[in-house]
Amino acid sequence: MATISIAEPPRPAPARPRLNYLTEKTGLMSWLFTTDHKRIGLLYVLSITFFFFFGGFFALLMRLHLLLPQGWLFGHETYNKLFSMHGIMMVWFFLIPSIPNTLGNFVLPMMIGAKDLAFPKLNLLSWYIFMLGGLTTLYALVRGGVDTGWTFYTPFSTSYSTTFVIAAAVGILIAGFSSILTGLNFIATVHRMRAPGLTWYRLPIFIWSTYATSLILVLATPVLAITLAMIAIERVFQVGIFDPALGGDPVLFQHMFWFYSHPAVYIMVLPAMAVVSEIIPTFSRKPIFGYKAVAFSSMAIAIIGFLVWGHHMFVAGESAYAAMTFSLLSYMVAIPSAIKVFNWTATMYKGSVQLDTPMLYAIGFVALFTIGGMTGLFLAALGIDVHVTDTYFVIAHFHYIMVGGTVMAFLGGVHYWWPKISGKMYPEFLAKLSALTVFLGFNLTFFPQFILGYMGMPRRYAAYPPEFQVLNVLSTAGASILGVGYVVPLIYLIWAWKYGERAPDNPWRTTGLEWKTPSPPPKHNFDVTPIVTWNAYDFEAQKEELQLG
Amino acid sequence: MSQSTVSVKTYAFTLLTLLGLTLLTSLLGLADLGRFSFVAAVAIAAVKASLIACFFMHALYEAKLVRVVMAGGVIWFLIMISLTLSDYLTRGWMPFPGK
Amino acid sequence: MADPSVLALREQFRNPEQQRETSTVGMWIFLVTEVMLFGGLFTAFSVYRMSHPAGFDQGSADMEFWLGAINTAVLICSSFTMAMAVHSSETGKKSRLAVFLLLTILIGLVFLVIKFTEYYLHYHDQKLPGILFHDTSPDAAYVQMFFVFYFLMTGLHAFHMIVGEGVLCAMLIRTWLGSFSERYHTPIELAGLYWHFVDTVWVFLFAIFYIPGAHLK
Repeated sequence: MATISIAEPPRPAPARPRLNYLTEKTGLMSWLFTTDHKRIGLLYVLSITFFFFFGGFFALLMRLHLLLPQGWLFGHETYNKLFSMHGIMMVWFFLIPSIPNTLGNFVLPMMIGAKDLAFPKLNLLSWYIFMLGGLTTLYALVRGGVDTGWTFYTPFSTSYSTTFVIAAAVGILIAGFSSILTGLNFIATVHRMRAPGLTWYRLPIFIWSTYATSLILVLATPVLAITLAMIAIERVFQVGIFDPALGGDPVLFQHMFWFYSHPAVYIMVLPAMAVVSEIIPTFSRKPIFGYKAVAFSSMAIAIIGFLVWGHHMFVAGESAYAAMTFSLLSYMVAIPSAIKVFNWTATMYKGSVQLDTPMLYAIGFVALFTIGGMTGLFLAALGIDVHVTDTYFVIAHFHYIMVGGTVMAFLGGVHYWWPKISGKMYPEFLAKLSALTVFLGFNLTFFPQFILGYMGMPRRYAAYPPEFQVLNVLSTAGASILGVGYVVPLIYLIWAWKYGERAPDNPWRTTGLEWKTPSPPPKHNFDVTPIVTWNAYDFEAQKEELQLG
Repeated sequence: MSQSTVSVKTYAFTLLTLLGLTLLTSLLGLADLGRFSFVAAVAIAAVKASLIACFFMHALYEAKLVRVVMAGGVIWFLIMISLTLSDYLTRGWMPFPGK
Repeated sequence: MADPSVLALREQFRNPEQQRETSTVGMWIFLVTEVMLFGGLFTAFSVYRMSHPAGFDQGSADMEFWLGAINTAVLICSSFTMAMAVHSSETGKKSRLAVFLLLTILIGLVFLVIKFTEYYLHYHDQKLPGILFHDTSPDAAYVQMFFVFYFLMTGLHAFHMIVGEGVLCAMLIRTWLGSFSERYHTPIELAGLYWHFVDTVWVFLFAIFYIPGAHLK
C-alpha cells in the first residue's frame, strides 16, 4: 500500500517512460564505458559501499577487541594495523568520495538544468582512477596492511615501519587524482553550464556547498599527493626529507599533511550540509532561512578551513605564536557552521514539518553535528587540547562529525533522492526504524568516548586501564547496534530497487529542477533546456504546480 | 580570416623582455649580493611569470573568471608557504623551552 | 569539407563558444592544481633553505650555472614558438601551425637533453642523494638535502615536459589530419596553456636552484 506520508493524496504515478538512463542501453559494457553522470554516480555508490563495509568491519574488530582491558583478539602490532586501515579506508575511500561522487554526480547537473557535467569522459576517468587507487590500497591490505595510522607521521612511516607504507601511500595518492578531477569538473560545470536565467543567487544551497567542496578538492588534494610521494621516495631511495637523522624535519611533514587533511574534513562535511540544506526546506515546506547567509557560510567554511591546520600540531613542537594564531582561526571557522545550524533550525520554525525518513536523518545531522562542532571548539582551546589531545575525546569529536554528521546526511540524501534515482519508493516504516537505530546506536557508541578521553584513555592503544572497561563495553554495544542500522537499509534498498512501489516524478512535492524530470530521468535529463525565472525553494510561487495546500 | 587574440609584435616584445630578464638574473647571480640574491632572483622570476601568463597565456584577454582562477592559485600557494613559515620564523620567541 | 567546429561540438554543450570557454576554464583550474602540487615542494624547500642557508648555497654552487641559464633561454624560446603556433591556429594558417608545433617540440627536446646531461654530471660528481652521495663541505647533510629537492623538483618538471612533448606530438598529428581551423582550435590553445605553465615553473626553479650559489664558484 502507499507509504508516502505526505498529508495530501499523491498524484498517480505516471507510466514509466519507455527509455530512461537505466534502460536506454543495457549490458556490462554500457556501464563500464558510460559517460552519463547518473550512471557514474551509481558506479561510485557500488565502490564506496564496498569500502564502507570493509572499513566498518575493521572498526567492529577493534571494538570487539576493546571489550577487555588487556584486549583478547589481537596483538598490539595487528591492532595498530586495524586502526590504520580503518582510518585509511573510511577517510579516502568512503567519506571523501561519498556524497560528492554519488549524490553530487547524480544531482548536480540536473539541479542546474544541464544535460551532463562539463567533462563527462573525465568523470568516467575519475571513477577508474578511484578504483585503481582503491585496488592498490587493497593490495597493501592483503600483503599485511600498514601500522602508521591514517596520518603516516614521520619518521615512523619513513624509517621504522616495516609494513606496506609505499603501496598504501601510492594507492591514496592515485585516489587523490580522482578527487581533483571531480572538483575540477564540478567547478567548470557550475560556472559555465547553468541553464539560462539561473543566476548564482537562484541556485539551490546544495550547489553552493558542493561548489565550495570542489574548491577544497582542487586546492588541497595536490598537496597531499606531493606529500605522500615524498614519503614513498624517502622509503625507496633512503633519502632523509623528513628523517631527523639525515637533517630532515618531521614537523614539516605534519605541516604539509595537515594542510590537506584539515580542509579534507570540510570536504567531508560541506556536502553533508549541502544535502541537509535541501532536505530541511522540503520537509518544512519553507524556503531556507537566510539564503545568502547560508550560501556565503559555505564559502567561508571552505576558505577559513584552509587557515587552521596547525591545530593538529599544538603539542607537536610548533611555535607558541603559530599555535595561538591557529587556535584563533579555528574559533573563527566555527562561526559559519553555527550560522548554518541556526538557519536550518529557523527554517523549521513555523514550517509545516513532516518527519519522513530523510528529515529524520537531517534533524539527526543537525543535533549530532552541533555536538561534534562544539567539542571541536574545546579542542581549539590550547589549554584543553594539551589535556585531551591523542585521547578518545578527539576520536569522539571527529566521529560525531563524520559519522553522526556525514554518514547520516549521506543516508538521508540517499533516501531523499532514491525515488529519482531508482524510480521506486523505499519501505517507509523500515526506513524510519533504521534511522532511529542508527541514531541510538551512534550515540551509545561515541558518547562514552568523550568521557573516556576526558578521563585520560589514549587513542590508538590496544589495551587500557581496567577502570575504563564499563564505558568501553557500552561503546562496543552501541557499535553493534549501529552496524545493524547500516545493514538493514542496504538490504531493503536493494529489495526496493526491484520490488519497490513505483515513484512519482516529485514524491516530496518540492521545488528544484531535478524534480521536474521523470523518475528515473532520461539520459539527457531535459528534453528542452529549462529557462529559470524563479528563486530556489519558492514553494509559494509554485504552489499550484506542486499541489500544495 | 579570423582575428588573433594577441599580435605577433606583442609576442616578440614579450620574448625579448623575457630573455633580457634572464640575462639580468644571471648577472645578478654572478655578483655577490648575499641573502639579497635569492630574493631578487625570485622577484624577477615572478615578473617573468606574470609576462608569460598575461601575454603568452592570454590572461589579460580572457574572461574575468580566468584571471580569478589564476589569482586564486597564486594566493593559495602564498597562504600555504606563509602560514607554514610563520611557525618556523616564530620559534624561540617565547621564553619556554621548545616554543 | 566538414566544419571542424561543428564536428567537435560535444552533446552536453549548447554551442561551440560555451564549449571553448568551459574547456579553457577547466584547463586553468587544472593549472591551479599544478601550482599547489609544485607549491608543496617549494614550501618544503623554503623551510630548509631558511634554516640552513649555508648548505643550500653550497649546493647551489655545485650546479652547472650556464647550462641552467641556457636552458631557461631555451624554454622561453619554446614558449614563443608555442604562442606563435596558437596564433597560426587562430588565423587559420595550418602549415605554419605545424611548423611552430614542430619547432616547439624540438626546442623542448633540446631542453631535456641539456637537463639529462646535467643529471649525468651530478652523478659523476657524486651528488646523487642516497648511498652514492659524497660531499666534504661542512654542511654536507644540507648539501644533500639541497640535491634531494633539486632532483625532486626538476625531475617532476622534466616529467611534466615529457608529457607535454607527447601532447604536442598528438596536436601535430591532429593538425596534419586537418582537425583544426580558425573556427576550432581549442586543443591547441589548451596545449599552449599547459606548455607555458611548465615554462613558468622552470623560471622559478632556475631562480631558486642556480642563482644563490652562482657567485661562489
